[in-house]
Amino acid sequence: MSGPLVEVRDLTKVFPVDGGAKVHAVEHVDFTLDGGETLAVVGESGCGKSTLAHLMIRLLEPTSGTVHLDGVDITALSNRAMREHREKLQIIFQDPFASLDPRRSVGNAVAAPLAIRRKGSASEIDDKVAGLFTRVGLEPAMMRQFPHQFSGGQRQRICIARALALEPKLVIADEAVSALDVSIQAQVINLMMELQAEMGLSYLFISHDLAVVERVSHRVAVMYLGQIVEIGPRSAIFDNPQHSYTKRLLDAVPIADPRQRRERPLITSEIPSPVWAKGTAPERVVHREVEPGHWVAEESSTPATE
Amino acid sequence: MSADQNTAQNAAQNAEPILSVRDLVVTFGSFTAVNGTSFDLFPGETLAVVGESGSGKSVTALSIMRLVELGTRGRIEQGEILFRRDNGEVVDLVGLSEDEMREVRGNDISMIFQEPLTSLNPVYTVGNQVAEAVMLHQQVDKAEGKARALEMFQQVRIPDPEQRLEQFPHEMSGGMRQRVMIAMALSCDPRVLIADEPTTALDVTIQAQILGLMRDLRETTGAAVMIITHDMGVVAEVADRVVVMNQAEIVEQGDVFELFENPQESYTRALLAAVPRLGSMTGLDEPAPFDLVEVEQ
Repeated sequence: MSGPLVEVRDLTKVFPVDGGAKVHAVEHVDFTLDGGETLAVVGESGCGKSTLAHLMIRLLEPTSGTVHLDGVDITALSNRAMREHREKLQIIFQDPFASLDPRRSVGNAVAAPLAIRRKGSASEIDDKVAGLFTRVGLEPAMMRQFPHQFSGGQRQRICIARALALEPKLVIADEAVSALDVSIQAQVINLMMELQAEMGLSYLFISHDLAVVERVSHRVAVMYLGQIVEIGPRSAIFDNPQHSYTKRLLDAVPIADPRQRRERPLITSEIPSPVWAKGTAPERVVHREVEPGHWVAEESSTPATE
Repeated sequence: MSADQNTAQNAAQNAEPILSVRDLVVTFGSFTAVNGTSFDLFPGETLAVVGESGSGKSVTALSIMRLVELGTRGRIEQGEILFRRDNGEVVDLVGLSEDEMREVRGNDISMIFQEPLTSLNPVYTVGNQVAEAVMLHQQVDKAEGKARALEMFQQVRIPDPEQRLEQFPHEMSGGMRQRVMIAMALSCDPRVLIADEPTTALDVTIQAQILGLMRDLRETTGAAVMIITHDMGVVAEVADRVVVMNQAEIVEQGDVFELFENPQESYTRALLAAVPRLGSMTGLDEPAPFDLVEVEQ
């Protein structure tokens, strides 16, 4: 395959609200993602990162723009064609309990994508599910059990097993480790990295936690009010941040080392609303390349972050 | 009282804990949520109680407030919670009646919670709610209550405090609501502030604001702060001393610098190894797994 695995171009999602106002949730977003690569999307509540994830798997239809996966524009596919194509991309959500049917055994849940697509006989599927359980660090004997019998970390392993059943190329992880205790979070992150190395997976890793993002990512995109304000290699974003919002975000992260305790000026400003009154719209940002692969939005064209 | 005596008393008070939890056991039916914990809180310090889900850290906080028996089936089975009053008298909160405890809550010990929206009444303005707390605790009239609410809003750095007093909770952001809760908690000058995951529901830039505010307020009010958190980053940022809890017990406690640099217990080492630390990846191009440590049994 030539070119990137994923190519997102000018992707926009606008939600209408009362009185003709609009929420510009995702605004002219562009990025690419290569095979075997992890791109982290970071930002605070309401920045549009989850809407972006939903657009990429077509749980939402974009207002405009395209998403190419493996050279195919998935935004243009019919529902039937999309169903075929969805094999290549899977999503893992934040709350693994809400993502599993309480009345269905977890083995059955992991088998479901294989059964729906008739990927082998019942015994073949059973063997495959057992293999997936082993791969994510669970005993195959646990297949007969139900979601409530598992801890949060185990449930998330089950969701990962289900996401991997169809051997996708891209896995979208939407705050997939945010609800887990820190020791479990580290184990699940390590598992995701092992699986990436084994299977050549790409991850779109959506998170609000910059310390986690620094661990897992090859590249990072920082979102603010629906726009990518900075994107580049992980080291460029963390060691050489250019946009004032990226800097503010990095400055705010508590560092788990009391010797690095920081005195910060007391800021009381808040992030502006992404709701635009009737007839108004955000100005389109212009990005410039400050070093190879490291793009920053021109500040004059974005709302003040202070 | 002479100036000398006064100084002497202050010195003695600095050495004496304001709150001393002794061998506390709390159960819910057959389940033991807190199993024999003992720790002290000293005047003017910030103590962090850190642990993962189910470690017993919130139940410890609720026991100090004697809220664990209300609404839930929690029971303080054993132990003492000794609180030192302004006049030096030490009372065991475990033995107080609900009426006596109501005097302690708010006046002596205040608490803020993770989710400010559920702590605020949706049908009253936030100004009314803070004023009401002051009126109930300090027996002042409505005008004085309002004046104190305004003063508190200024102290917690709420922009446009006069206008904000008139707003309802749903009209405010999460960060502003938590400022309102802090204003309410501090409105009666408590000696102890218990904050249970006060920034967990907030975005990181707002978290930084609230933590900075809490640090400032500790200096201006002199209240001792006990912060309950699962976040080692928050601990490193604000705590003087740390209590680490796991499975209903305290595994380790000590000075924050010593605890991070030289954790004594295997559980603490395992916990710290799992914490992602901003800046730990500098100089590396590829993502790297966590170097996890097994907890010795």
